[in-house]
Amino acid sequence: MTVVSFSAGRRAIVKQERYDREDFSNQVPAQGGTERMADEDDGKRFTRIALPHLGDAYSLARWITGNRTDAEDVVQEACLRAFRSIRSMTSDNPRAWILTIVRNTAYTWLRKNRRLTLVEVESLEVAELAQAVPGDVTMETPESALIAKADAAQLEAAISVISAPLREALVLRDIHGLSYREIAEVTGVPIGTVMSRLARGRSQVIAKIGRRAS
Amino acid sequence: MTRSMIDEQSELLVHAYLDGELDPANALALEARMANDPALAAECERVGAFRHLVRERLPREELPPGLRARIERSIGVRRAPPQFSWRALAASIALTAVVASGSTSMLLDRSPADTTRDAVVADHIRSLMAPQPFDIASSDKHTVKPWFNGKISESPRVVDLAQADFPLVGGRLDVVGQTVVPTLVYRHAKHLISLTATPASGRAASAPLVGKVGGYNTLSWTEDEVTYWAISDVAAGDLKKFAELFRTTPADQ
Repeated sequence: MTVVSFSAGRRAIVKQERYDREDFSNQVPAQGGTERMADEDDGKRFTRIALPHLGDAYSLARWITGNRTDAEDVVQEACLRAFRSIRSMTSDNPRAWILTIVRNTAYTWLRKNRRLTLVEVESLEVAELAQAVPGDVTMETPESALIAKADAAQLEAAISVISAPLREALVLRDIHGLSYREIAEVTGVPIGTVMSRLARGRSQVIAKIGRRAS
Repeated sequence: MTRSMIDEQSELLVHAYLDGELDPANALALEARMANDPALAAECERVGAFRHLVRERLPREELPPGLRARIERSIGVRRAPPQFSWRALAASIALTAVVASGSTSMLLDRSPADTTRDAVVADHIRSLMAPQPFDIASSDKHTVKPWFNGKISESPRVVDLAQADFPLVGGRLDVVGQTVVPTLVYRHAKHLISLTATPASGRAASAPLVGKVGGYNTLSWTEDEVTYWAISDVAAGDLKKFAELFRTTPADQ
C-alpha cells in the first residue's frame, strides 16, 4: 500500500523511498520473485515472470483498444517485446512491468492502425489543466442507490467513452487493483496526476450511469 | 445535492481514502470532517458504491482460448504438447528413415527438408488439438491475406478454392525452426488441410513431392522461391488435386 500524505495544494508526497522510473537496478527485488535464477533460459524466465500476468495484460489491452481482436494482437506483440527485454528486466514488480509494455504497445498500435482516435496523452495533460474541473463539479451527481442500479453493460459503456488517460487510471485501479504508485509507474505520470485522473474518471462515469438510471 | 459544495482537494482525499492510500492521520482527519459534512459523506458513499459496483458487475474477462498457447509458440517456449510431439517425432523419424532409404544411417543425417516437413506436420497436429486450428477464422481471402501483413515480412499467396470443394477456413502463424511462417487452412469434406509456406530463396521450382509422416499425407513443391507444404489426413489423391488447384488458380481472380 502506498501511503500518501498531503502538503500544499494538490501535490501528493509518497512517504516511501523515492524510486527512479528509469533505473530499478539499485532496488533489491522484493519477495524473491524476479531475481535471476542460475541456469534459467529466457523462455523459462518469461514463463515465470510474464505469463502469470497474461490475464491482466489482455484485460488492459481490451480496455484500451476497445475490442477483443485488437487486444489479442496487442498482447501478442507486447509479449514479444517483453520476451526480447526479459534479460534486462530488473523491476521488482513484474505485473507493473508487463502492464507498462502492454499499455505502450496498445497506444502505438492504435496510432498505427486507427489514425489516432485518441488524443495524445501528453497534449491532453495541458487540455486537462486548462479545462480545470468546473464542468465536473457543477454536474448533478446521482445518489448511491441510483449508481447501484447500473448493469454491467451500462457500466462498461460509460467507462469506454471517457477519455483514454482517465479510463486507463480507472481501469488500472478499479479493475486491476493497482496501487496509485503502480499506476504512476505504468502510465508514466506523477502520483498527483494519477489521483486527479482517477477522481475525474470516476466522477464522469458515475454521472453517466446515474443519468441513464434516473 | 451537487458536488460543487466539495472542493477539489477534498474530493481527491475521498478517493484516496476509499482506495486505502491515505496515511492514518489523514484518514482520521477526513473521517472527522465527513462526520460533520453531509456533502462530503455523500460523495464518499457515491464513490464507494461505484467501486463496489465495478468490482461486482465487471468481472475480469477470461483470456481467449488459445492466446496463451499462441504466445508460447511465438516465443518458442512451446512447440507442440509434449506427449504428442514426441510420438509424432518418433513416428516421423521412423517413417522418414524407412521411406527414404531403409537404412538407419539416415537417422543421423537427415536433410533440412525432412526437418522442415516434420516441423510443419507437428504444427498441423498441434493446430488440430487447439480450440481452433487457426488464428484468424475467415473464408474470405481478402480478410486472411491482410491479416498476415505486419506479422510476417511477406504475406502468402491466398487463393479461393471454395468452388472446387476446398473452402478456405482461416490462417495462422507457425514456427519452423526459428522462422515464423504463414499457414493457410482449407477444408475438404470433414478434413482440414494445412498449407504452410516456408521461404526458399534461391531454390529452383520443383514439382510436387509426395510423402507420408505419422499418418498424415504431405505434399511439397517450390515455386517463386517459396516452398509450399500441404499436410492433411485427406486421401493422397485429394491432396494432389488440392495442390494442383492451388498451383493453377491465379491469386487475383
